[in-house]
Amino acid sequence: MDLPLAIQCEGVSKRYPHFHLQNVDLSFEQGTVMGLVGPNGAGKSTLMRMVMGLIGPDSGSIRVLGHAMPHDQIAAKRHIGFVAEDMRLYESETIAFHMDFVRSIFDSWDDDYAQVLLRRLDLNEKQKVKGLSHGQRVKATLVLALARRPSLLVFDEPTTGLDPAVRKEVLDEMMNALADETRSILFSSHNTLDVEQISDYITFIYGGRVVESSNKEDFLDGWRRLRLTNPHNRPLPDLPNIKEAQQSGQIWTVTVNQYDDALPAQFTQAGLTVTAVERLTLEEIFLSIVLSAKANIQMKVAS
Amino acid sequence: MSTSIVPQLVGKDLRLLSRIILTFVVVSLIFIAILAAIWDHVPAVVQGNFGFILLIGPAGTCGIVMLMKTNVLEKEKSTQAFIMSLPVTVKEFTRAKLWVNLPVFGLFWAAISAVAFYFAFARGLFPLGGVPFVTMVFLGGFVAYTCILAVSLVSQNLGMTVLCIALFEMATSGYLWAIAFLNPISQHIWGAVAVWNPTAVGIVAAQLLVAVSVIVVTLLVQNTKRDFI
Repeated sequence: MDLPLAIQCEGVSKRYPHFHLQNVDLSFEQGTVMGLVGPNGAGKSTLMRMVMGLIGPDSGSIRVLGHAMPHDQIAAKRHIGFVAEDMRLYESETIAFHMDFVRSIFDSWDDDYAQVLLRRLDLNEKQKVKGLSHGQRVKATLVLALARRPSLLVFDEPTTGLDPAVRKEVLDEMMNALADETRSILFSSHNTLDVEQISDYITFIYGGRVVESSNKEDFLDGWRRLRLTNPHNRPLPDLPNIKEAQQSGQIWTVTVNQYDDALPAQFTQAGLTVTAVERLTLEEIFLSIVLSAKANIQMKVAS
Repeated sequence: MSTSIVPQLVGKDLRLLSRIILTFVVVSLIFIAILAAIWDHVPAVVQGNFGFILLIGPAGTCGIVMLMKTNVLEKEKSTQAFIMSLPVTVKEFTRAKLWVNLPVFGLFWAAISAVAFYFAFARGLFPLGGVPFVTMVFLGGFVAYTCILAVSLVSQNLGMTVLCIALFEMATSGYLWAIAFLNPISQHIWGAVAVWNPTAVGIVAAQLLVAVSVIVVTLLVQNTKRDFI
């Protein structure tokens, strides 16, 4: 029997006075990691809260592990571990208090695994939450989410504000959690390095819209930076996949997506010389997408 | 497993509140002891006013602190995101909060009311004719508490809740003064026997009805919420 998709969002919209999440389609199968990338205020947290059933969409449908959200949220949340950067534990209580509480709710709670996680993440369960640093608090919520052995992990900016060492610990545990091949992760961040490291699929979200969504390899493979010389000042060919173009004297730097090997020839035919074709990092793609989306919005506003 | 986690949520809040509840119970016991010790050594007017303040002070404050901690600070301190990430709906979350606050405050208030009745009537401070009115006073306090609890749950806003406390404090005083001057009540207050005439019974029934209605409306309003973070 086919497993239901980990997450399936179709035409999801949500309107606030100063923000509009528009017509979001997002889906990925179980056993994979979806990285949700976007700048602050893009709509990542809103989308994640809708996936968790904490916010109801104005239109569209959301299914999580086959359960309709928010209607079937109790059944769905029995199989979801959620960690958010702004999620807090009870300051006056210890980590052990929280572990006891979560253990009392989830039959799937694995005490041995919880102890392993505490050791690996260097946490003392007798310590009160108010004495923990931000990084330790994130690690504590990670223990609470992982030790219940959920099918789906939803991480909303878990690495924000962490120092590099703690960030690595958190990412390593997320990777370890994927040892179970049916476990899935939805992971949001504006840190593209983190997303690039663990994701199978990447979705870029900007201004409440999904700008791009695809397999990571295809995604990285589809973007290129072309360095061109243009001694006769010829116009650039009118190609729809040019996302960014910068001129410095006779030198042009052009960023394209949906790259294929025939593309350089089109520039050559237009009278330009292609001097280099370079791959982009996810960070560079992210910046290009944001700048391109911003320019599109400004053009729409101007017209 | 699809059973409700309301009992676990209630247990968690009771554990979080245990020190607060214990503190206020101890303070109440100390105040009752003080009241008993000075009872025969101060004038009746001092016994009445001082006793009323000493008895309702800790219970009322305990109720307010509990609802602030469980309802308002849950949102303000972002622990609500943690709770709502668990298999629970807004409806169940609301039920759990009601199950924590109402029984604890209700028991505390009932115990304090019983002590107040003992000092006021069993020890002869007031004649028995005052029983219906004093019942209305303590029931009025409980109704005001359910209203404040409802506002704290629905709004989860510190400002709104504090404003509500101030308003209900004034409104309850005004309402009790109005009742005290109602002829069918006032003419029996200083009488030797408690008279449960239709007005007295009607007011008590209306108070109970308001308390129940406020709780039902709170559940209905919470059920309509689509966004809960």
